[in-house]
Amino acid sequence: MVQITINQQRIDVPEGMTVMQAADSAGIRIPRLCAHKALTPFGGCRLCVVEVEGMRVPMASCTLPVSEGMVVETETESLKKSRQFVLTMLFSERNHFCPFCQVSGGDCELQNAAYHEEMTHWPIQPGWNEFPVDTSHPYFVLDNNRCILCRRCVSACAEMAGNFTLSVADRGAKSMIVADTDIPLGESSCIKCGSCAQVCPTGALIDRFSAYQSHDRNLEETSSVCVGCSVGCAVKVMTRDNRLVRIEGDWDGAVNGGVLCELGRYIPLTESRPRLTTPLARKNGSLEPVSWDEALTLAQSRLQSGSLAALASTRLSVEALTAFKELFETKLAAQLTTTLEEGRATSATAKYAERVGNFEGRLDLLQTADVVLCVGADINRHHQVAGFLFKRNLNNGANLIVIDSAETTLAERARFVLAPKADATQTLILALQAVIAKEGLERKSLALADVESRVEKAVAECGVSAEALTQSARLLASAITPVILYGEADEATVEALHQLAVQIAATDEERNGILALKGGANSQAASLLGLERPFRLAGGETLYLALSDDALPQALADEIRKAEFVVAQASYESEVAEIADLVLPVGIWAEESGHFVNLDGRVQKAQKALDAPNEIPDNLNLLNQIAERMNITLNADWREAVRQRNVGAELRIL
Amino acid sequence: MSKPKIASDWMCGCAGCHMSLLDMDERILKIVELADLRATPITDLKEPDESGVDVGVLEGGINNSANEEVAKKMRARSKILVALGDCAVFGGVPALRNFCGVQAALRRAYVEAESNEEGSQIPDDPELATMTETRAVHEVVDVDYNVPGCPPDPDTIFYVLSELAQGRKPKLKDELLHWD
Repeated sequence: MVQITINQQRIDVPEGMTVMQAADSAGIRIPRLCAHKALTPFGGCRLCVVEVEGMRVPMASCTLPVSEGMVVETETESLKKSRQFVLTMLFSERNHFCPFCQVSGGDCELQNAAYHEEMTHWPIQPGWNEFPVDTSHPYFVLDNNRCILCRRCVSACAEMAGNFTLSVADRGAKSMIVADTDIPLGESSCIKCGSCAQVCPTGALIDRFSAYQSHDRNLEETSSVCVGCSVGCAVKVMTRDNRLVRIEGDWDGAVNGGVLCELGRYIPLTESRPRLTTPLARKNGSLEPVSWDEALTLAQSRLQSGSLAALASTRLSVEALTAFKELFETKLAAQLTTTLEEGRATSATAKYAERVGNFEGRLDLLQTADVVLCVGADINRHHQVAGFLFKRNLNNGANLIVIDSAETTLAERARFVLAPKADATQTLILALQAVIAKEGLERKSLALADVESRVEKAVAECGVSAEALTQSARLLASAITPVILYGEADEATVEALHQLAVQIAATDEERNGILALKGGANSQAASLLGLERPFRLAGGETLYLALSDDALPQALADEIRKAEFVVAQASYESEVAEIADLVLPVGIWAEESGHFVNLDGRVQKAQKALDAPNEIPDNLNLLNQIAERMNITLNADWREAVRQRNVGAELRIL
Repeated sequence: MSKPKIASDWMCGCAGCHMSLLDMDERILKIVELADLRATPITDLKEPDESGVDVGVLEGGINNSANEEVAKKMRARSKILVALGDCAVFGGVPALRNFCGVQAALRRAYVEAESNEEGSQIPDDPELATMTETRAVHEVVDVDYNVPGCPPDPDTIFYVLSELAQGRKPKLKDELLHWD
């Protein structure tokens, strides 16, 4: 710890902090435009300058480390003049007229900075130059006229998303934020995560959905968890008058640290399926509105007789999945209870874990990995934030090796891409093990026999050259902090991957550098509850489909049609109109609270941010209502229910 | 001591700042109590007294030769000149046309706009004022106090006028200072 004095206030702060961080920790606000807590400071805007005793000139507090006995002033008359000058120059560059800007009136950091310095006018008028406006992106607009070149967006793109799409072209007053080689954003390599728009201090990056809808001060903010996939990013759901306005990454989010992907930030805002707000029953071939009483009575009579199957979305909370399991599997003895995902991403890992115990590590290992081996996991297409965690390091010496029998969008960022023939992934992993053993690079010996012949066999079987295999094996074996990340795999492949992790010391006494992507937001919870069997109907069953706001996978539609009677617990019309005989409307993700288990076992709570229309129940509530009708009491404790088995990642109920 | 004299005028603005001035409601009686309201767009006198006023207030930017004359006359006859509102302080919404230029703006308005009749022309009567780039008041004459806002709040206007009428220097900050 070092002691420093800021504005006559003595504060103790850890060594290595910047003066700005020290001031923030003491509640002293130093003006800033380019610095942002989630980004590396570079001292660009000069608004955060402070006076330090003994220093000849004012210093940028965002890059100045604290030192023992430092005496700092942040609000002197001379600093005020200096800041007014900086702001004057910024205002004179481009179009910063406030009355017709969407962030004006509280949400603009540039305007707020000018107010803080009590500026009543611009001493230098603008130069009236026109700058390009890029409206080609589906989710935000880049208006260079409002840009102050703080480069936060460029940093966010590189440091948060690891995507390196945005950069600055030209120099001086002609500097411009551009995408790739100055092509329209909508045609660029942008992966639409929106991190740039979230950090923009002015109206230069305007969110299309929330623009002109509300000042931030009029928004209600609900801290919640994204239910887009199994990463479990912390989000802030911004609402006004019971309307979803915007979704932001939570800077304090344990998993994501503020970054989100398109699926988490924008897709929920594009929802256009019509909502179901009243129960419907099929009469003479078409779905007709019925009362709740009639609907529940019909559900009761159908669920009480005949053979029963039940299918749930992995977007349901653990609470709802536990009730679902208790009602259909335990109480009603359904022949099949599973999820829409049928355990594709989880069951092999869970089966292997049942044999060897939990063996997976944590997501944050990706942030410090020097080599990541990605196996059948195209993290540019799904689980993007998991990818961001290491892609941001790929320009700083980290390496990516990709194994995928399908074409993968990761190829251009990878050092090596190994594309085995279909179903030859396990053979390839075994070959990697053999090469590492053959070259004497094992950190822990797997005691493999016949390494030569194994390699030869693998080269022949999986269609990967011996050269590529050897180079990948060497890179992998030389890694200090390797992590193996895999997608859908069979149990034998999971075992081979785990052995490889042990062999290269990705996994040792201190760390488990291997983890699997798990699919949906609560696929891991479904796995813990044993809801991961393949969905096959014999025909003639009554099927209870707890779809909620999920989309029905096309692959299951035919199987579902084998059921004689389908009760659908659903939020949207389009998904069930054809197949359901009885529709029970239910709330969507933002309309209920509940827990989710992410891919590395972290249990997090999603919070209700909106009221459901027409007082329709949430998923848990509806399951309870049905149970009540049948004189069944659901009382399983989800915290107990998820502790019945090991599925790979250690469960952490925090 | 006689009451300080206040005069105001508007130029390239929308009259909104004067509306905001009237929006101070009964507090305008307090202003009348403190000051002698002379020529304004809402009183009968049309020009500030030749003998001068203590406080001159200008709404709107300067976008032609006539505005220039108004601004220079007000400056010459006022001890203290106040630029009222975003157009006077920054150029405001009319200054948007500076990004395309005077000729392009005139052509769009008088010739190309869909509502114009066939063969419409840009008016060129020599008696008309000559259009210029839109300028903030301080670009043409010296300004003592800039009071931004689109429009400035009635509270802000009341504060500025009552402070000046009582011989004090108004200082805009916090709630009273906004640019939109």
